[in-house]
Amino acid sequence: MKKIIQKKIFNYLLNKKIENFIGVPDSTLKYFISEGIKRKKVIISTREEEAIGIACGMQLSNSSSLVFMQNAGFANSIGTIASLVDLYKIPLIFLIGWRGYLKTDAPEHLKIGKIQKKLLKALDLQTKILTDENWEKNCNWATQKIKKNQSCVIIIRRIQDE
Amino acid sequence: MNRKKAIQIIAKIINDQPIISANGFISRELFNTYEKKSNFYMLGSMGLASSIGLGVALKNPKKTIYVFDGDGNILMNLGSMTTIGTIKPKNLVHIIFDNSIHESTGGQPTNSKKIDLGKIAQCVNYKTFVAQDEKELEKIMKNIKFGKGPILLKIKISKTTKIEKRISIEPTEIRSRFQKSII
Repeated sequence: MKKIIQKKIFNYLLNKKIENFIGVPDSTLKYFISEGIKRKKVIISTREEEAIGIACGMQLSNSSSLVFMQNAGFANSIGTIASLVDLYKIPLIFLIGWRGYLKTDAPEHLKIGKIQKKLLKALDLQTKILTDENWEKNCNWATQKIKKNQSCVIIIRRIQDE
Repeated sequence: MNRKKAIQIIAKIINDQPIISANGFISRELFNTYEKKSNFYMLGSMGLASSIGLGVALKNPKKTIYVFDGDGNILMNLGSMTTIGTIKPKNLVHIIFDNSIHESTGGQPTNSKKIDLGKIAQCVNYKTFVAQDEKELEKIMKNIKFGKGPILLKIKISKTTKIEKRISIEPTEIRSRFQKSII
């Protein structure tokens, strides 16, 4: 996704009172994360589970949070999503970079890329894919979910080889 | 000293400040010793108590936030100490109850006997204190300057002899009463 759109997505969410952006970097999301770093709103954690923990602590303090990660890190996070986020019903927005969406992507991403949809479904996480055209509508959807105390997922796909 | 005794000594200082407690016997013992609405009992997600504590500390700079961690727990998420040491929240007190075993799963050994968690904490910018017995713990708790953190307090504890009952509060209730207590 283009730099300008990713920047817009970050600022849109910030304006919608998402106050904290915590995660592990992903090249698919790099412009989004850079914009957040520029605005001093980002915490880079060592692992995705750690990011979810920090975000849950902030959410427990009544401050809305987004966790960003590559889908490899989403796979790491399944236990934490089940036994922390879902168990206590702590609402978070997950922003996930979808590696392995193209079959031409690097081999280490293909398996997770292929089963990602099923994993999200198994965890009962409602998901929207962001595109250049629909991002505003779907980001608005995500912020509405948080207001209703529900977690949700927004995804940016890796749609070209870089 | 056992963990219950250590919790009793610490509780005198904590009053109503928030506590995030790690899963297993630590949360159970806290629940049965010093139950209050500002305790967040982490039932699953082993390793993440200090991460949750960091999030709470950053959003509540006027409160002192306590993390009740275990050696097995922190060894699962050592990266958390590096993040805490980088951000340096002044109001975070990270307590590790160190019995060198995974007690609730049957007492299997952790690595904490053979490495130095206190030194690791020092290297990543914590102010570090170690208590080997009750006397030392009481002295540290009296002299510790809260608000100058991040503070790590490692407390050597013995194996538990009495297993406390499970936490009887629903997870969503643990969450909502904690949230209300912190406003």
